[in-house]
Amino acid sequence: MTKIEKKFKELKNKKEKGLILYLTVGFPSIDKSIEIIKNCEKNGVDIIELGIPFSDPIADGPIIQHTSSEALKNGITTDTCFQIANELKNEIKIPYLFMTYYNPVYKYGIEKFVEKCVESGVSGLIIPDLPYEESFYIRKMLRNNDMNLIYFLTPYTKEERMKKILKKGNGFIYFVSLAGVTGPRESLNLNLIIESLKKIKKISDKPVALGFGISNKEQIKQIKSYVDGIIVGSSFLQKLIENEDEAIKLIKEFKEELSY
Amino acid sequence: MFPDKKGKFGIFGGRFVPETLIAPLEELEKGYKEIVKTKEFKEKLNNLLKEYAGRPTPLYFAENLSKYLGFKVYLKREDLAFTGAHKINNTIGQVLLAKMMGKKRIIAETGAGQHGVATATASALLNMECVVYMGEIDLERQKLNVYRMKLLGAKVVPVTSGSKTLKDAINEAMRDWITNFETTHYVIGSVVGPHPYPLIVRNFQSVIGKETKKQIIEKEKRLPDYLIACVGGGSNSIGLFYPFYKYKSVKFIGVEGGGQGLNTDKHSATLTKGEKGILHGSFSYVLQDNYGQIKITHSISAGLDYPGVGPEHAFYKETGRAEYFSVDDKTALKGFHILSELEGIIPALEPSHAIGYLIENKDRFKKDDIVVLCLSGRGDKDVLEVARIEGEL
Repeated sequence: MTKIEKKFKELKNKKEKGLILYLTVGFPSIDKSIEIIKNCEKNGVDIIELGIPFSDPIADGPIIQHTSSEALKNGITTDTCFQIANELKNEIKIPYLFMTYYNPVYKYGIEKFVEKCVESGVSGLIIPDLPYEESFYIRKMLRNNDMNLIYFLTPYTKEERMKKILKKGNGFIYFVSLAGVTGPRESLNLNLIIESLKKIKKISDKPVALGFGISNKEQIKQIKSYVDGIIVGSSFLQKLIENEDEAIKLIKEFKEELSY
Repeated sequence: MFPDKKGKFGIFGGRFVPETLIAPLEELEKGYKEIVKTKEFKEKLNNLLKEYAGRPTPLYFAENLSKYLGFKVYLKREDLAFTGAHKINNTIGQVLLAKMMGKKRIIAETGAGQHGVATATASALLNMECVVYMGEIDLERQKLNVYRMKLLGAKVVPVTSGSKTLKDAINEAMRDWITNFETTHYVIGSVVGPHPYPLIVRNFQSVIGKETKKQIIEKEKRLPDYLIACVGGGSNSIGLFYPFYKYKSVKFIGVEGGGQGLNTDKHSATLTKGEKGILHGSFSYVLQDNYGQIKITHSISAGLDYPGVGPEHAFYKETGRAEYFSVDDKTALKGFHILSELEGIIPALEPSHAIGYLIENKDRFKKDDIVVLCLSGRGDKDVLEVARIEGEL
């Protein structure tokens, strides 16, 4: 069992839902990154998604585009991200994954990238533009090293495809709540989401975490009984741009809502 | 024939997109395959290409240029197609397809504005709402085309993210499509992007090569020895090359934007200087740094100023079917002037690169060789820019 799988089992036993937090490595700065991550763990985050910034993030909305380009301007490279992951090994206990686009992984060399992930205690990878069909090699390599490649499903994924992905998916399934890019939304199409989540749960009992668009406690309240976790990124980063304390407060609030 | 079922040209191409786009791409692939073979679509498209876009375009024997170079050069006159470039072949095809698929809204990206204008034109004609994404820097450089799009009823959205040029306009158009695919068709302007786009755009642009084949046989009773065209994303070149793919005696030459030189960072020679990678949903050659971040490119011609290239070109390069070279800004300008002076044809800066290649490398061709050059667009759009560069304004 991987660290991520253990985490979801532990949450299930506690009858809690997981809070997964995305942040862009090196935003607002390298030193700040580690401090913020430690603070997030303290305040209830269960899994950390470390974003390796990419110049052309097509699945991301304005906030993560901004944090990514700022991080790149700060001189963050894939190697810096590995260094930070390495430091986190001794600083936090919760699992942390990398989220990035396929080109930085491919260019680094898939084997070398995975090797570095092992060295630096990374628990898995999320690569939004690597579709299921192209993922077998990297998934196997990760699996052999006790890591997970996280697959995506959306309300628009056809059932046949859904079955294939659920069969091979491990760690957790990243359920994209909407048609669109990352970023906070006032309201979500709950009927569509719940109908889709029910379908997924009928096919598989693998943990499902919902991401994209989450901006408030109320949304979490309405969705939480259908999922095993919630993924938050942009709404946290938006607060972080203004005020770190406010960002941490948001995390605390969300985790509270997910705890009962 | 390529691409295969997975949208691959050998190892290149494919569909590297977020899961949300898988269903719309499958819908587009299915819609395309079903609709293009219907009699209704074929008749409508052929009629529009003929009556509206002015096809077939002439294959013109450039006698003066031939004398100057020392071998026979024919120009495929895409500059005479409506809106002044080959772009219209693709946009009429795609907008018609979108309409028959029941879409209501058209989006597109544009760099120099040529594809934006061609999309706005087809959308006006076929009564579709049209939104064009354009990098803020390009918007400033190409004000006239921005106004043309507005006249045609399109909404032009400035893109302020990233490098604020073509690659970012594509990112933004993709983000729009991820959000609105149920009502919207994304008209990609070149043979790039995820499968089935490289296939669709190639097939709509193949009209260039099909006409050329017929015309050259009428005029010369034989196939040409060389086909030459400029390569940005690569749609005019693939359109010319593809119908000749199986005729191995016909050699293909693609010419990229060498900018200020390949030893600088200011060029857009993706096939010559790039490495394999993934950009805009497709595995191909990419200009990138050591960590896989996409580089900012430069070319005197906005239409070549792109860090990626169509996967079919990557495949032609890898298999040796085509050769790719680059020509710098200065040589392209030379081509621009020479064609204007010798033939009275002011070419766009994009095909000026191909002309520049012939001038610089005329010794590689034999006296009896027949070369067909795709004159992909007319130069009106570039006249002001050239005048500015040369200090005439």
